[in-house]
Amino acid sequence: MDALNTINNVFLIIAAAIRSLFADPHSVWANLTMDVINFIIVVIIVVLAALILILLERKVAGWTSQRPGPNRLGPRGWFQTIADALKLMGKEDITPAGADKFIFKIAPMIIFSLPMMTLAVIPYGNGMAPINLDLGIFYFLAISAISTVAFVMAGWGSNNKYSLLGGMRAVAQMISYEIPLLFSLLGVVMITQSFNLGVIVEAQKTVPFILIQPLAFVIYIIAGLAEVNRAPFDLVEADQEVVAGPFTEYTGLRWGLFFLGEYGNMTAVSALAATVFLGGWQGPAPIPGWVWFWMKVGIIIFFMMWARWTFPRIRIDHLMHLAWKVLLPLSILNIFLTGLGIYIYRLVMGG
Amino acid sequence: MENKVLKEQVEKLAAQVNGEVEEIIGELVLKVKASYVIETLKGAKSFPNIPCDFLHDLCGVDGVDHLEAVYQLTSLRGPQRLRVKAIIDRENPVIDSVTSIWQGANFLEREAYDMFGINFKGHPNLKRIYMWDDFEGYPLRKDYVTEPIEVRNIVRTRIEGE
Amino acid sequence: MTIEKTEELLLNMGPQHPSMHGLFRMVVNLEGETVTKIDPKMGYLHRGIEKLAESRTYSQFIPYTDRLDYLASPHNNWAYVQTVEKLMGLEIPERAEYLRVIFGELARIASHQVCIASTALDMAGWSAWSYAFRDRERICDMYEMTAGSRLTVNNMRIGGMSNEPPAEFWPALKSFLDDTPEMLEEYNGIFFGNEIAQGRLKSVGILSKELAENLSITGPCLRASGVNYDVRKAEPYSIYDRFDFNVPVRYGCDSYDRTIIRMDEIVESVKIIKQAVRDIPEGPIMAKVPKVIKPPVGEVYHRVENPKGELGFYIVSDGTTKPARLRIRAGTFINLQMLPIVSLGWKIQDVVAIFATLDAVLGEVDK
Repeated sequence: MDALNTINNVFLIIAAAIRSLFADPHSVWANLTMDVINFIIVVIIVVLAALILILLERKVAGWTSQRPGPNRLGPRGWFQTIADALKLMGKEDITPAGADKFIFKIAPMIIFSLPMMTLAVIPYGNGMAPINLDLGIFYFLAISAISTVAFVMAGWGSNNKYSLLGGMRAVAQMISYEIPLLFSLLGVVMITQSFNLGVIVEAQKTVPFILIQPLAFVIYIIAGLAEVNRAPFDLVEADQEVVAGPFTEYTGLRWGLFFLGEYGNMTAVSALAATVFLGGWQGPAPIPGWVWFWMKVGIIIFFMMWARWTFPRIRIDHLMHLAWKVLLPLSILNIFLTGLGIYIYRLVMGG
Repeated sequence: MENKVLKEQVEKLAAQVNGEVEEIIGELVLKVKASYVIETLKGAKSFPNIPCDFLHDLCGVDGVDHLEAVYQLTSLRGPQRLRVKAIIDRENPVIDSVTSIWQGANFLEREAYDMFGINFKGHPNLKRIYMWDDFEGYPLRKDYVTEPIEVRNIVRTRIEGE
Repeated sequence: MTIEKTEELLLNMGPQHPSMHGLFRMVVNLEGETVTKIDPKMGYLHRGIEKLAESRTYSQFIPYTDRLDYLASPHNNWAYVQTVEKLMGLEIPERAEYLRVIFGELARIASHQVCIASTALDMAGWSAWSYAFRDRERICDMYEMTAGSRLTVNNMRIGGMSNEPPAEFWPALKSFLDDTPEMLEEYNGIFFGNEIAQGRLKSVGILSKELAENLSITGPCLRASGVNYDVRKAEPYSIYDRFDFNVPVRYGCDSYDRTIIRMDEIVESVKIIKQAVRDIPEGPIMAKVPKVIKPPVGEVYHRVENPKGELGFYIVSDGTTKPARLRIRAGTFINLQMLPIVSLGWKIQDVVAIFATLDAVLGEVDK
């Protein structure tokens, strides 16, 4: 049991060890060091997630559409993404002549930085949230809303009509889907009376919220897919219509940053789903909590990829109908039902 | 052959429009002057019982001393087929457009204009369709000289504002 | 005070664009996402095949026809060689006719599979695309066994066929035909049955029957608008009068019917091939043809039912070894006329889908 605990808390032990190097383990300098280390870890998570997910995406794509997928470089093609990343770094960095240079250059950086900010509040294990925010969900949604601005910046700055169309689509789509996304999470917040992700995970000790809030989970997954621009809601970068939307004019590493950002966002949304609905790091032993967490995230990511390679792309007016006429009423209904449930529960329990 | 009934009709029409009727490899051909083309095609479209009302194809042919516009007419309701040839003056290649009868003649007439320089009067958008707008000459005419690309140097200049 | 108003966006799609099926270009006026005007431009793949024909002998021209509708090259060969045979009055052996029917119908299946695949792909249905292409590979393999090439087959000659299919061709053909119902079931499951796909295709891009006739539309697009017309039935060429098959007709006039009618046609093609395989006689595959092909003075027009529309050849012969004028009536070139008309008022996404359902091959459009 001791060994298991050690594995379970291995990161906490390491953190404590680092802190103990300082004379006062809770001094300003110790906190700062820990923050820097946490930051580096989150960056590593985003970059690793992108590297692994791109490969995984292609493997899943191959599996879904009955073809081999990458199979040349390294054992079973496992090194393909690394080669692709190296190739991207070697590409020429082109800025279009008529581009708004500052906006054009800063947009991919913003997109890349957002998932790092959102992933910082996720509890990866018991007490393992890099930043333990009381307003965790609120912060998460507020930060991820910024990506809309970044897409518009990229679309406008590129001085390309396809990019502009893509940017406009991004605004319409992401703002519409933010509302059902937010409302679907409110049910859980009402039950736990807290925005803190750590508290929400603790509350799922016995039953994960997916069983109490199944409707909210479905709404969250659909709105989340739309929020990270994954098929069938990938209208922003719809290559058959607007070539690559806001990314059309980007090359090399700047384009790579968009890619990292996309997969980082995907990880963040899946991580939030795993935390809020699937019980986060909670799970029966003997598997350590942080493994449980990543397994749940992996399942949701796999589902997203599966959906992407199976469904055709939805039309823009259907997309809006879905958000405003289906998901929004359903999510409000869910809030209403949750409130009713809590009221009855209190009435019955006499609380 | 089923051409019998059709032939009667075509001959009647030919008398109206001063055309001549031939039969080449089982198919009726009606030759008319360019000025009669609308009348002829309208007549063919409204043959009783066996209308040739589907414009199957339209193309230009260079007959060396004259140009021809060849209309292949069929029908979706029967096996009848008729080929109408309009003889066009080579020096002044003008003919009435049939887009008022069949909208489907749009691209076909543009192509014939592009390749033979036949001017279709009344066409809504008579521009070159395959070659670029400032291309000179009409490639499918017999007197068109094909030169190697180095000699002709057909490099398209970009017009400002495109 | 100036009145602010929204401006139309002029968007130039193509010739380099992911969903333009080759080198097609259209200039689209957009009001938001809604299309207000389309101006199709072609000619980026124009090779002047009609002009080339005038400097080639009749047999030399056969490989050029492969490059017209390169997704159904046997049909182009077939239309051309039949036109020349009609001009010369040649009779060709029975076995060659049957082989031509088999290859023609295989090409129809392959071409329709590509159409279904590319329609799916233009709506981002990646898996549906690769399913259809996976099955098309098997047809390409059969081409390869016989003719050595996988796309531009070129195994028809004036007077017959170039070579007999090898022994392994027949079992491959049989297993392919046996598997087709399963394949169609898969396409239905992954694409046509999908809610999103139906939402995007149904009642989009209506081409009414009257408009279709007026625009000289042919092929599946015409039949999806409720016109029962197929050259194979209306004016049977080759030996089509010997086979028992139906002409699928649909009455929806929309993108959905224009796509799914190709599924029905695959079923009919399989039926025809099965009958052809059953009835094929033994014998020579090449008629006695003079060494130098020199048709008499005259002119001939012949058309066949290409998978995408009617393909016609009009040859004017002046009695020499080269045609005086060779005209290709390309089905998709004429079918393309409907694009600016039917896609008005739809979203730009729909225009891409409508263009895909037309199944335009730019090799044929541009000639």
